[in-house]
Amino acid sequence: MKSYLSLIPISAKVRRRQNRMTLLCIIFAVFLVSAIFSMADMAVRMEQSRLAKKHGQAFTLQAIMDTSMGQSLFLIAGALFLLILIAGVLMISGSINSTVAQRTKFFGMMRCIGMSRQQLARFVRLEALNWCKTAIPIGIILGTVSSWTLCAILRFVVQEEFTAIPLFGVSAIGVVSGIVMGIVTVLIAAWMPARQAAKVSPIAAVSGNTGSTDRTQRAVRTGALPIELSLGTHHAVSAKKNLVLMTGSFALSIILFLTFSVLLDWVGYLLPQSASDADITIYGESGMNCVSPQIAKAIRAIDGVENVFGRRSVFEVPAELGQEGLPQTVDLISFDDFDLNALKKDDVLKKGSDLSKVYGDNSYVLAICDPDAPLHKGDIIWVNGEALNVAGLLKYDLFSGDGFSHGKVSVITSDETFLRLTGIGDYSLVMVQGDLTDESAAAISDLLDEGLLFRDQRGQRTFGTYIAFVLCVYSFLAIIAMVTVLNIMNSISMSVSARGKQYGAMRAVGMDGRQVTQMIAAEAVTYALAGGVIGCTGGLAIGKILFNILIRDHFAYAVWTIPVFRLLIVVLFVASATFAAIHAPAKRIRDMAVTDTINEL
Amino acid sequence: MDLLQVEHICKTYGGGEAAVHALKDVSFSVPRGEFVAVVGESGSGKSTLLNMIGALDTPTSGRVYIGGEDTFAMKEKALTVFRRRNIGFIFQAFHLIPELSVEQNMIFPLLLDRQRPNTRYLEELLAVLGLEKRRNHLPSQLSGGQQQRVAIGRALITRPSLVLADEPTGNLDSQNSSEVLALLKKTARQYEQTVIMITHNPGIAHTADRVLQVSDGVLTDLGGCRE
Repeated sequence: MKSYLSLIPISAKVRRRQNRMTLLCIIFAVFLVSAIFSMADMAVRMEQSRLAKKHGQAFTLQAIMDTSMGQSLFLIAGALFLLILIAGVLMISGSINSTVAQRTKFFGMMRCIGMSRQQLARFVRLEALNWCKTAIPIGIILGTVSSWTLCAILRFVVQEEFTAIPLFGVSAIGVVSGIVMGIVTVLIAAWMPARQAAKVSPIAAVSGNTGSTDRTQRAVRTGALPIELSLGTHHAVSAKKNLVLMTGSFALSIILFLTFSVLLDWVGYLLPQSASDADITIYGESGMNCVSPQIAKAIRAIDGVENVFGRRSVFEVPAELGQEGLPQTVDLISFDDFDLNALKKDDVLKKGSDLSKVYGDNSYVLAICDPDAPLHKGDIIWVNGEALNVAGLLKYDLFSGDGFSHGKVSVITSDETFLRLTGIGDYSLVMVQGDLTDESAAAISDLLDEGLLFRDQRGQRTFGTYIAFVLCVYSFLAIIAMVTVLNIMNSISMSVSARGKQYGAMRAVGMDGRQVTQMIAAEAVTYALAGGVIGCTGGLAIGKILFNILIRDHFAYAVWTIPVFRLLIVVLFVASATFAAIHAPAKRIRDMAVTDTINEL
Repeated sequence: MDLLQVEHICKTYGGGEAAVHALKDVSFSVPRGEFVAVVGESGSGKSTLLNMIGALDTPTSGRVYIGGEDTFAMKEKALTVFRRRNIGFIFQAFHLIPELSVEQNMIFPLLLDRQRPNTRYLEELLAVLGLEKRRNHLPSQLSGGQQQRVAIGRALITRPSLVLADEPTGNLDSQNSSEVLALLKKTARQYEQTVIMITHNPGIAHTADRVLQVSDGVLTDLGGCRE
């Protein structure tokens, strides 16, 4: 041994099991950051090569950074860096805190034999940095490999605009950001525990007072709950710092989940995906109903065509709506069964709408109207002397650019009802979906008579971008969830280890295995409940603000509702994380030989 | 009938050449109400023997009967219940629960058993142990001697027939040691309990009804000392 610091790797070897979770936390933080920055780098390189191809000249990183895409990419990466830093610091400082608390006697002994406060603080900081030696390279390798996998998925599965993304690129930005993340997180996380260790009095080594007992100020309240539940809850509530860290990490991941989910909604509004999005649209030059059903039938027979559906329309039909302030005319539009089904798939029907009544020849219709002059389900619209019953309403106007109907009332009927009301058999619009090659598109075009227009929208579907975005958000959320579960498991496990001797004594005086499990469960459930309540409240509040800024301000018809399904996912996640966190430490204490703990001084 | 019967207990750690025989064919019995001291060098097997009697550890072979019940024939759950109702433990390091007050620590085994403490008995114990004024204190607010008294109170609260004490005075000064020991004997007599106590202190051993010596895993009955 050359210096007292040579003790660090020796101690790390001995405490390998206890340090495993801390190592995992660092690896995760480094992995996440290097994967995110590597992906951002790859996206920039893809953009560079795309622009170079388009404009015939090379674009520097600076040039890309000047574009809105480049800026938003690195802004997102920067925000994620900050979030991961906070999550990483929360997790790792929890771990280091526990390891320091467990070794008070060791630190006291070090002080007894002459280590100064500064040396002790340095010891703890360097010990934490020592973990980086293994954790950072592993994190960077994992991050790089997963960025390769993601690139491959984007390139070969999602395709579309990602066919130019580089496959096996190593990103310097990714590597450097990983290293910075590892070191910065560990240094911030070790700062408080190092100060705590430096404060340990030499008397701690000789008296056996580990500090934890001295901090207890008030006795547990017993009576209302069984003793094991009272103790478990008290364990969670009495250690304030631990309570804040645990509740914080639960709450943070819930907040992240609920906030990121709003981004998914946002993309949904920006790049609306509809089951009735067409690859090819055929319509009349005059805008009238002039596409004959025979053409639609002929298109169906062409190779690669999957769905052909048409709409008929008559505008400004005189109508009586029975309410003052509503217009005296309506636009009648027919949807065939495929189109009606798409309304349900796209979730554009207002709550309470009964789509099933609209199919076939009948008097039921769907209506679109402005929110300030609303129609309701069950209202009657008189057209051509016939009463049409409103079976449902749409959330927004499908036919206008901004989702508003601007004072107009549109009525959607089935094919059959429309034919009966108007006698018009030709379509105003025929839409084609399918895996269409250029030959198939040409074959469709050849079928058209004069006066019919053909619009090829095959390359314009945004499904690829949408899926890529959704994939990224979900994988980020999955990783955050995994890190949270690991962190919670680690913290509960540490908390149980720290009280191992106490639990051993409890078992010796008659606590059975079930009671041990319940005591640990009560502690975990306390964290979960507190974190769940704070996380859901904070997440919903931030989510609503974000919804207003990102969506409501631009899509005025959008209405924020409490995301019940997402809250259910949160509840399920919290419950399973808690269960996972209880299981292993409870089993360890149940299986532990009582004699191992009570006989040591 | 004897309260405790130990029959041919052997305990071996490890195997092959590295095998350590902590207890070698130990047999003895203790009648109800006897105060027994177990003496021996460090590492001789005293604590192992006490752990076997208290069913905290399992022997390699042999049987232990408490009140006629074969403890090692019981399932884990039944054994836990049996232990908390019939055996009181006192440890050298007290092992009190830091978050519980003196009174809560004492009634802890009853709470685990979902039983209400008998108030009269609890008050009597607190008085005998001299802890009436300290009943709401936390262990960290007590001296070592007081903490050990709380541990004795916890061991006696269920009125167990057998009290096992592993060097209960090992962490105490001589003044506190003799007080705790006197208390232990007084309560054992008062509540007709059998006490088996490990001690290093020959002076303490001499006050016991009987002394057992463990040396290299072999038990020798040294008989009564007081006469």
